[in-house]
Amino acid sequence: MNLVESVKSAFRSVFSNKMRSFLTMLGIIIGISSVIMITSIGQGSQAALTGEFDKLGVNMLTISLKDPSKATSRDQLIIEDMEIIKNHPQVTSVTPLYQGGNAQIQLRNPKEYRSSILIGVNESYKDISALNFIYGRFLIDTDVKMKSKVAIIDDGLAKVIFGYDDVIGQQIYVQVKQVKHPFTVIGVIKNPMGDFASLFPDQMPTMLYMPIGAVHDLYGTNRIQNFAVAIQDKDKINDTSLELTKMLEKKHRNENQYYVQSATESLDVVNKVLGYFTAFISFVAGISLLVGGIGVMNIMLVTVTERTREIGIRKSLGAKNKDIRIQFLIEAMILTIIGGLIGMALGYLGGLGIGSLMKIAPKVSFIVVSLTVTLSSMIGIIFGVYPANKAAKLDPIEALRYE
Amino acid sequence: MIAIKNLTKVYQNGQIEVAALRTVNLTVAAKEFVSIMGPSGSGKSTMMNIIGCLDKSTEGEYCLDQVNISSLKDDDLADIRNKKIGFIFQSFNLLPKLTALENVELPMVYAGIGAKERKDRALDALKKVGLEDRVFHKPNELSGGQMQRVAIARALVNQPSILLADEPTGNLDSRSGEEIMGIFQDLNQEGATIVMVTHEPEIAAYTKRIVTFRDGEIISDELVKNTLSTRRNLV
Repeated sequence: MNLVESVKSAFRSVFSNKMRSFLTMLGIIIGISSVIMITSIGQGSQAALTGEFDKLGVNMLTISLKDPSKATSRDQLIIEDMEIIKNHPQVTSVTPLYQGGNAQIQLRNPKEYRSSILIGVNESYKDISALNFIYGRFLIDTDVKMKSKVAIIDDGLAKVIFGYDDVIGQQIYVQVKQVKHPFTVIGVIKNPMGDFASLFPDQMPTMLYMPIGAVHDLYGTNRIQNFAVAIQDKDKINDTSLELTKMLEKKHRNENQYYVQSATESLDVVNKVLGYFTAFISFVAGISLLVGGIGVMNIMLVTVTERTREIGIRKSLGAKNKDIRIQFLIEAMILTIIGGLIGMALGYLGGLGIGSLMKIAPKVSFIVVSLTVTLSSMIGIIFGVYPANKAAKLDPIEALRYE
Repeated sequence: MIAIKNLTKVYQNGQIEVAALRTVNLTVAAKEFVSIMGPSGSGKSTMMNIIGCLDKSTEGEYCLDQVNISSLKDDDLADIRNKKIGFIFQSFNLLPKLTALENVELPMVYAGIGAKERKDRALDALKKVGLEDRVFHKPNELSGGQMQRVAIARALVNQPSILLADEPTGNLDSRSGEEIMGIFQDLNQEGATIVMVTHEPEIAAYTKRIVTFRDGEIISDELVKNTLSTRRNLV
């Protein structure tokens, strides 16, 4: 019996039992579609992130403490270090960054608060980040110099506090260490998480941008978590990192305490984390594929029992053991491959759906697609071999007698 | 054609050994039309399975067309069943989801014959048994006699050395049974070798030789003096 005939006859028996075949495929469909959906979203987010970093440019550095838990107070970066960094000839702009936690923003109902992160920066922050302004403006140098009590908030928070988003000039109240401080809104930006954030308004952290001095005053500190630095020539990025580290070490009289990371490096780190995350969820989805495969095996075993007589007839007409084996193996593979193809289509559509919700273009790579097709046919083979062998080994006399 | 020497078949039933056939000797020449008779448990079905290469003997020798079957492996047996033996069963054993034509094509599928030739030969075989107007019917759309005729067409289609029929009329009314026997007689006339198991003496009367089994042994082997012809009964 040649392969074409085997495939034809396998198709016939798969389609003669449509409902059962569909239910058997469902396990594979769910497994494959989850894997495709998750990887396409994962790769889409990676691409989106890379794009974001590209927009900011690759000539970016961040200076921070290597290990804040081991650092003494002498090692801490402080606002005064900015002068050293600024004076390096390669540096075109620099902003300090201090993130103050445990801040509460008073909402429309004065008794309600939302916890937020206050980010203290200077006017140069605008050059190195991709803030998307709807209304108003970012900090200018006088705001920073005067430590003005002004803030840039996102549209989501604006709506929660005021019920609308054009809130330039309005007062908001920021509570830090039990003390309430009024701040004036000078700019409204689009929430960087986009519509995704609006799905979970209570879970997403709110970030407010304020002059570094103002934030320092609220928390009574002069520490800086990191400096973000833009340099002129991206080829000199390594030399500049070294020189800046040396200068900071000299000023703080220490060694090996600071860590300079370039934008591409942080991109790599983020991508790595995202990659692990995608791989992990795909692994979980893969387990559902395993369950689907067991379902295929189960149904194939039932099919073999049901068709014992058919197997006997075929053998009496001259079917060899291998003909029977191939016939059942191909049936199992048809179930998993068709299931795999449907799953792939559904996974892609699901990816598009979630992607449009998250404002991410999902990416389906050729490797993932070919891997899934291979995987689903492998599942067919792995879980089809046992039932197919069972069918092939049936004794023709017994099989013919089977009622 | 068939040469069986000192053939013994023993079934292992748990601890007990049951001898289904005891040193049987049987020769069937080409163009013979033999019926094998005997009560149930006499060993006639075992004989049939061994002649049909579905089962192997415990001892002794079975040669079909000068080929010693006793020493062959599973795949070779499948090949012999495919090319040299045409089975006709009591319960027809057609595949219910295939049409008459596809059922008849099946042995040729396993013989590796191309689609075009398969269809031509299957149509010829169906024509031979008078079913040219039923080729696209499925078994459940056919009468018992028609189903058995499809089975005969299927048995014939690879031009086997022998036709093996196991109670071919057992599930049929007497008129259809007679029709089937008429087809067998015609085929035998044209040169087919037929071995048929039956327990009905009236059916055996249509054949030319009757071999009777009892308790695993042949107790009689005689030629039929006046073979009944189906011709005079059929209009």
